[in-house]
Amino acid sequence: MLNPQARAIRLIEWLLLISALILFAVGTLLGDTFFLRLATEALIFGGLAMSVDLLLGIVGLLSLGQALYFGFGAYLSALILKEISPSFSLAISIVILCSALLGWIASFIALRSKGVYFALITFGLAQVAAKVVYNTRSLGASDGMMGVPILSIWTPFGSLDAANPGTFFLITLLTIGALYAILKYFLTTPMGSLWHAIRSNEDRLAYVGYKSKAPKQVAFVLATVVAAVSGALYPMLRGFVSPELMFFSVSGNAVVTVVLGGVGTLIGPIMGSVLLTSFKSVIGTWTSHHHIVIGLIFVIIVISAPKGLAGLLTEHFRKGASDE
Amino acid sequence: MNKSEAILKAINLSKRFGGLTAVDDISFEVAPLGVTSIIGPNGAGKSTLFNLLSGTFKPDSGSVFLKDQDLTRMNPEERLFAGMARSFQITNLFFDLSVIDNLRIASQVLEPKQYLYLPLSNSSMALARADELLVEFGLLDSRNQLAGALSHGQQRRLEIAVTLATKPKLLLLDEPTQGMSQGDTQETAELIQQLGSKITVLLIEHDVDLVMDLSKAVIVMAQGKKLAEGSPQDVRSNPLVQTAYFGEETA
Repeated sequence: MLNPQARAIRLIEWLLLISALILFAVGTLLGDTFFLRLATEALIFGGLAMSVDLLLGIVGLLSLGQALYFGFGAYLSALILKEISPSFSLAISIVILCSALLGWIASFIALRSKGVYFALITFGLAQVAAKVVYNTRSLGASDGMMGVPILSIWTPFGSLDAANPGTFFLITLLTIGALYAILKYFLTTPMGSLWHAIRSNEDRLAYVGYKSKAPKQVAFVLATVVAAVSGALYPMLRGFVSPELMFFSVSGNAVVTVVLGGVGTLIGPIMGSVLLTSFKSVIGTWTSHHHIVIGLIFVIIVISAPKGLAGLLTEHFRKGASDE
Repeated sequence: MNKSEAILKAINLSKRFGGLTAVDDISFEVAPLGVTSIIGPNGAGKSTLFNLLSGTFKPDSGSVFLKDQDLTRMNPEERLFAGMARSFQITNLFFDLSVIDNLRIASQVLEPKQYLYLPLSNSSMALARADELLVEFGLLDSRNQLAGALSHGQQRRLEIAVTLATKPKLLLLDEPTQGMSQGDTQETAELIQQLGSKITVLLIEHDVDLVMDLSKAVIVMAQGKKLAEGSPQDVRSNPLVQTAYFGEETA
């Protein structure tokens, strides 16, 4: 039998998948645009939160600048779609390759330090990059880039129309789902165990024969690719990118999402993103001060469920198991 | 002792921390198999010496040889591959991981590198080794418990088990019975004795009676220097050691 946390994760996976499919079916049937696009955005930012969680919850590294890689993916994808060809597979492949390279280079800078210094370096790198983009005329400077063309997606059954919100929602679901599956696969390998070991007691690792640098680098590169691929979906949904995507508010929001959903569960952050995005939208229609309401909700959740929503479920299953 | 016979050789090791010379020009040899112990009062420099032997610190001068291999410049993980493993005085485990995962991660390093990226089930050697140690150290019932949730005695046992995962030739044990109950100490002593019949054990210990029972050779340290070495009987009857260490204990 699965342990309580694995059961909580399994439940969230099914919950999210089933609600996604119901939303798709109902949304398509009713010709909805708003909710499908909102859910697509939730998944995209969920991907970013997942990459923060890989570093924070699995390896124990707090990144305060993950928006840098998200924004990198978004800008690169917008550039490819606009300048080369509006092809989904081309944009995603180039983003994967380039972000892996970027993550590898950035890892040498960021992983020089640990703890709070790692957090500050990642924060600083992102601030620098955001400022550079903000001031680069060829990238649209503070306006960003608009007019990203509508995507065409090649499949063996013919080209898909990504202008249809239902279609693009499914594509996003598949992409984020694939990223999640890849990260979950890594957790079943010895590499995944090394990440947990680093979080638990990094200095001990040398005495069982490992340098901690290489596993941390693998995780950092993976997190960069996950953030960048999530970012690459953004201009496909919105048709534009702006330098705000790299700002601290996006990085910070991703950390909040992770804490809300459940640190170290990977799927918790996706659920956290779905909830936060819906809150923002729903509460935003009532009041323009929605940040106050969301802030209060966040405080209440962190106090009553410090391990996030996934932690609540884990606790529920643990109690259930001990009652039996 | 014939020089080439020694498994571990420390040659003129020194380590200073600011104005304090923690280890002052120490040389000794450890013969293969059995238990050799380093004793000395608090602050004698035993732990620093251990850290020099295991690669935690690099010495300011002197060298460390395992058989004929110079380890002086090697990192702890390289020394592990050379055949030297160590335990820690303050229990040092992956506390948020299960007992079996602690053992498996320690065994994993013997597997080919590409296995790092394959599902765990491929690492059959590491899994088998971990299970073997689980049985050997009586931790089978705690297999899936978190290491942090074990009793102190169990944690100390797991600590030794982890160091044995790679089947080292030389095991450095830093106060393995520290903080243990009488019963656990006795059990651990027997365990160390058994280990000594298969591999070479170098032990730091506070408990002098335990050391005298277990060891075939004893090295006595005081104020960073080697005071005496020899068989337990020789050391006990050494007048220098009597005054410096045993003091009123034997009086």
